[in-house]
Amino acid sequence: MIIERVLIFLIFITGFIGLIGVKNIIKKIIGLSLLNSSIVLLFILEASRIGDHAPILVGQEKNIVDPVPQALMLTAIVIGVCVTSLSLAMAVRLYKTTGSLDITIIKERIENES
Amino acid sequence: MNPDSLLLTPIFLPLLAASIVLTSKSFLPVKARRFSEYFGILIGLLMPIIFVLLLYPYVINQGSLFLVIGSYTPKIGIVYKFDSLSLVMIVLTNLLTLPAWIYSRTVGPSQSYFTALILIQSATIAAISMTNDIFNLFVCLEVMGLIAYVLISSKQEKNAVFAAFNYMMYSSSSMVFFLLGSFGLYRLTGSLSYQEITNALLNLSSKELNIALICLLLMIVPILLRVAIMPLSNWLVGAHSKAPHAVSALLSGILIKIPLFVLVRVFSISPILKNLTFPLAYIGSATALIGVIFALSQSDAKKLLAYHSISQIGYIITAWAMALNVGIDTTPGAILLIAALFHTFSHAIFKGLLFLSIGTATDAAESRDVYKIRGVNSILSQKGERFPITMICFLVGALSIMAIPPFNGFFSKTLLTYYLKPSINYTILSIAGVGTVASFIKLSRIFLPNKQIKEQTKEFSKEKFPFSIHLSLIILALLALLTGIFSQNIFELLENMFISTSKRPINKTIFFSQANIIKTLYTVLGGVLLFVIATSKVGSKVLHKLKGIKTDFTDQYFHFAITITLLSYFLFV
Repeated sequence: MIIERVLIFLIFITGFIGLIGVKNIIKKIIGLSLLNSSIVLLFILEASRIGDHAPILVGQEKNIVDPVPQALMLTAIVIGVCVTSLSLAMAVRLYKTTGSLDITIIKERIENES
Repeated sequence: MNPDSLLLTPIFLPLLAASIVLTSKSFLPVKARRFSEYFGILIGLLMPIIFVLLLYPYVINQGSLFLVIGSYTPKIGIVYKFDSLSLVMIVLTNLLTLPAWIYSRTVGPSQSYFTALILIQSATIAAISMTNDIFNLFVCLEVMGLIAYVLISSKQEKNAVFAAFNYMMYSSSSMVFFLLGSFGLYRLTGSLSYQEITNALLNLSSKELNIALICLLLMIVPILLRVAIMPLSNWLVGAHSKAPHAVSALLSGILIKIPLFVLVRVFSISPILKNLTFPLAYIGSATALIGVIFALSQSDAKKLLAYHSISQIGYIITAWAMALNVGIDTTPGAILLIAALFHTFSHAIFKGLLFLSIGTATDAAESRDVYKIRGVNSILSQKGERFPITMICFLVGALSIMAIPPFNGFFSKTLLTYYLKPSINYTILSIAGVGTVASFIKLSRIFLPNKQIKEQTKEFSKEKFPFSIHLSLIILALLALLTGIFSQNIFELLENMFISTSKRPINKTIFFSQANIIKTLYTVLGGVLLFVIATSKVGSKVLHKLKGIKTDFTDQYFHFAITITLLSYFLFV
């Protein structure tokens, strides 16, 4: 159990480093996406610990996993996709207008012009 | 009438209207599209106000109304809770979105999608104000954020896109922590609704309780980020100053305050969270003061206004935190909450007015530099403005934010500071008031006549000034004046909603008491003096240094970490 948690934490840290340590905005977006995924995995992992079966109640299933986190994470994934696609659209716009994907260069070019 | 069916109108009517607008955009000719937008605003923004106001007697009699969606049991279904706070938030949002929309008709962004977006936003805010569990809160906050990012970048200028991108990265990554916090709470308590978490927390061991408090803190800080409390407010200046004017008015007027009043619910989860209210009140006062100092140092007119938004939100946070500290069930706490709400309301009006009038002026002058623009009136009359309505409306907004009677800012600021009186927050906020006066004297100079321009343009041009700009400005200016004049009646309405037994209602003699009028005079005099100091050689050097302070994308996360550490210190020590 502890190994899975450590791996999820590693995904989280990777995402965070991508978000704040890397200057390329596409990589930043990937980092944000990873951050989101790590939390989704955490929810699913912890919910699966109380049972073995999928929560599809046809007969008298017993020993099922907690269905609430799965429902929640479905929503969280949808929101994550929205955020990713919108930020990629913005990245395209920024690249077209400034000609760079590096966040410091973009900032410089914008400030120089205004 | 059945109140249950009315409860859902502020959420579903705007969504219906948005879908009508979007459908007609795809299938109908241009004229019908315009018509559908007017129709959408009518049923999506105006009708919910009426329906929500019909619920007023129920709120007074029953306190709060509950509704389970889809008639499930409350454990499974989504529960909506409607109380006086929701009522105020919904009316405020819908009422003030209208002038911004009218303004956007000629100045832009005026496509159908803008109308649809602000309708969806109104629905989201209604859902935020009524939601009763933390996961729904997460979803609604994210949707509200997504719409804000799209609105900011809707003119597709690279400045605005960059500001929106920055805001989006910062706020979305902080919402990951919110999700982590809600995961922790669900793990510990097995439920997501506020009330059930409160009950479950009572049965936890002290070690588990500490983890639960950390989870709550992880939820509170991302919401405070949306409110733009001082170390977390870097995103605001870029986003609010680079957005189209109508969007700036919406963002500063409404969007930054809604999360704050949601926090009232989150703070009710655990009584230990009260430890945070004192530090938050001080952070609020500091935000008010530092925001004003930075505002004074800006040369970009809209950046100056954006810093004022931070400063005014500081006022509101102070009163809000003190209200929670005393307890909103007690009369003094309720009065402070009323003061915070009324200042929210008046700030939304006058800041909207200022953003729209300054936006009109800077567009006409084709510059945003406060030091360079002069003689806006003659420039505007070149564009066909016969009567200086823009200037008059700007002055109404400026007098209101400077807290000068009879405009609404005077009443809300007086009420807010009066009930804070013995604490040091009162002193800090009064000093911030002086700074506000000084920076608005600085901003008002753009309307000073400029002789060079006057000589060039004796003849009036035949251009017609867009009517929608004047209409939106006049609506907001009238609102600022009327909510000032009828403030006593509004206080009574709010008292009915928030104070069950009015033992000690708001002392209405405080507004025109001798002490308060003298204080207002001193504030104005101090403001003039501060302005003179700021324009002197030493003053402008200091301000220039302040203006040069720049923050990086990564710095924001450093501020985020500092805030969490600081607040957890106050929570546990």
